Amino acid sequence: MIFNELAIVESTEEIASNTFQTFLKSPKIAASIKPGQFINILPSEYWDKMMRRPMSVASQKDEVISIIYKVVGEGTELMQNWSLGDSVDLIGPLGNFWDGYADKLSILIGGGVGIAPILNLHNHLDELGEEKVLIMGARNSSEHFIDHNPENGVYMTTDDGSLGIHGNVLEPLKIALENIDIQNVKVFACGPPAMMEAVRQYSISEGIECDLALETLMACGFGICQGCTVEFEKKQKTTEHSYRNRFGLVCMDGPIFESKEIKSCHL
Amino acid sequence: MSSVKFGKLDFASPILVASGTYGYGHETKSMVDVNGIGGIITKSVTLHPREGNPPPRIAETSSGMLNSIGLANVGVNEYCKSKLPYLNELNTKVIINIAGTAVDDYVETLKILESAGGNHVGYEVNISCPNVKEGGMSFGVSAKMTESLTSELRKCTSKLLIMKLSPNVTSIEDIAVGAENGGADALSAINTLVGMGIDIKTRKMKINTTFGGLSGPAIKPIALANVHKVFRAVKIPIIGLGGISCVEDIIEFILAGADLVQIGTLNYREPGISIRLAEELDLYCRDNNLTSISDLKGLAEYR
Ligand SMILES: Cc1cc2nc3c(=O)[nH]c(=O)nc-3n(C[C@H](O)[C@H](O)[C@H](O)COP(=O)(O)OP(=O)(O)OC[C@H]3O[C@@H](n4cnc5c(N)ncnc54)[C@H](O)[C@@H]3O)c2cc1C
Ligand SMILES: Cc1cc2nc3c(=O)[nH]c(=O)nc-3n(C[C@H](O)[C@H](O)[C@H](O)COP(=O)(O)O)c2cc1C
Ligand code: FES
Repeated sequence: MIFNELAIVESTEEIASNTFQTFLKSPKIAASIKPGQFINILPSEYWDKMMRRPMSVASQKDEVISIIYKVVGEGTELMQNWSLGDSVDLIGPLGNFWDGYADKLSILIGGGVGIAPILNLHNHLDELGEEKVLIMGARNSSEHFIDHNPENGVYMTTDDGSLGIHGNVLEPLKIALENIDIQNVKVFACGPPAMMEAVRQYSISEGIECDLALETLMACGFGICQGCTVEFEKKQKTTEHSYRNRFGLVCMDGPIFESKEIKSCHL
Repeated sequence: MSSVKFGKLDFASPILVASGTYGYGHETKSMVDVNGIGGIITKSVTLHPREGNPPPRIAETSSGMLNSIGLANVGVNEYCKSKLPYLNELNTKVIINIAGTAVDDYVETLKILESAGGNHVGYEVNISCPNVKEGGMSFGVSAKMTESLTSELRKCTSKLLIMKLSPNVTSIEDIAVGAENGGADALSAINTLVGMGIDIKTRKMKINTTFGGLSGPAIKPIALANVHKVFRAVKIPIIGLGGISCVEDIIEFILAGADLVQIGTLNYREPGISIRLAEELDLYCRDNNLTSISDLKGLAEYR
């Protein structure tokens, strides 16, 4: 069930360089959203752009959800300037959710603000007591807000070596896979297209099960505009909302897709 | 709510939702009381299923958006099987938008829909999609072809037959007259305008098919001018659309000559906008002592 709910801003914090986390009181969405799903935000009452701004949910607890975002344009600028107590028009929960982690080693990979849906899955696996590894990639240490802690399965990587492992997220992924039966592993990733494409190709070449959360421009977020397409590797069965089998809708069939299912993460 | 007469029909609200911007009516049902919408015009359906254009299909523009969906749809047979049953249960008026590549396509699609036993009140015929080579645009730019297509379709149905006009023509009046002569009950104006966008970082076209259809508030003045031109050219009723985002826009369209209006792109941002604006329109009528908003049709005065 999709809700159009007025949420109340509870707090906003700069958790890393130009990266903000905002907590929103949104009882209906908080009670029903699943890790991996997203919401579509009207950044302000006076928003005159045509499109809402989709954001993954980074945490959910009681009546409160949070989002993590980088300020890249007008919409995210408005979000960063929300005041305590402001009401914000949300549509959600939207899209599919992370699945298939039971009784497996889950390797969670987040890059940039793609960490949001990864963090929510991380919290969920914590609650369930499932085994997991967390890998986060960024350009430099200023973009990170979690400690590098390999002993506990938490790896930070940076392109410039200023924190954690010098290199990209594939390095710790290879470490995490050492001496492990890949049949018992599943990778969950969300991040910039280039990062996800690297993870996608690696997972396919190694035969590892891997789900990826994609991002693309969305006019609606709930299956009406048909604008948010991803090309499938093989033709699929037509579903209720996807009119033909060559393309899927990121907002309805996704945002999460199996690595083998799609042609590319570059949309 | 003040109802509006439209040919033989009474619309509970003059605000409908435009083809391609409200799916098949069921997608928003947990957020919106879809029966409160004046009418739902479903996504263009074609004789055969169409997978649509490759991505990217949409881009945001100043006060608007570009789209090149390419008439992605399930095809008329699947439409009758999986979409009509839900639409039949609705208490709002359903109008089925059809598209095609040749007269025979349109005719056969319409015949299949006629025999499917739906509760829909009529058809809107898309002769104006700018996004597919064969999107009916060849009809939409020729008054003669519009007239013969309209008259062929007229033979197949006694339901409401609406031709949807393109602004991408030299003279929209000529096309409108062609549709009227062919026997159309009404006209919808306008479909999207041809537009383009370039990503200056990558220097690539924003839309895979280079050109897309521009919609949203950016096109409202153009839509209004086209509606008024059509109003001056024909006697049949007009459904005005293009960039409507507030109740003032609706009143403008009616003053320009529209009987009903459709909301398109704005549905994406606010799925319940047509219901909110219907309430605001009622208030406007009350405040201005109008028994019906139709009283304002075509009343705009020249200077
Ligand atoms: C399902 C989904 C989940 C998302 N989750 C998050 C999230 O958790 N946190 C977050 O920060 N962002 C997320 N995004 C992306 C987010 O929607 C965009 O960053 C946002 O719309 C930018 O809005 P703006 O008005 O600030 O910027 P705009 O003015 O729209 O864009 C500014 C610049 O950012 C670029 N840009 C816009 N959208 C994207 C995108 N999706 N990917 C890469 N570049 C983009 C534009 O090309 C432009 O150069 C998500 C997108 C989707 C589809
Ligand atoms: C994404 C999108 C898809 C559309 N699909 C169709 C369609 O299938 N058939 C049709 O007749 N018009 C289609 N349209 C055009 C709209 O119905 C409408 O004529 C146009 O968008 C102008 O109105 P607006 O500015 O209120 O959106 C589409 C528009 C958009 C934005
Ligand atoms: S964003 Fe409109 S269909 Fe996916």
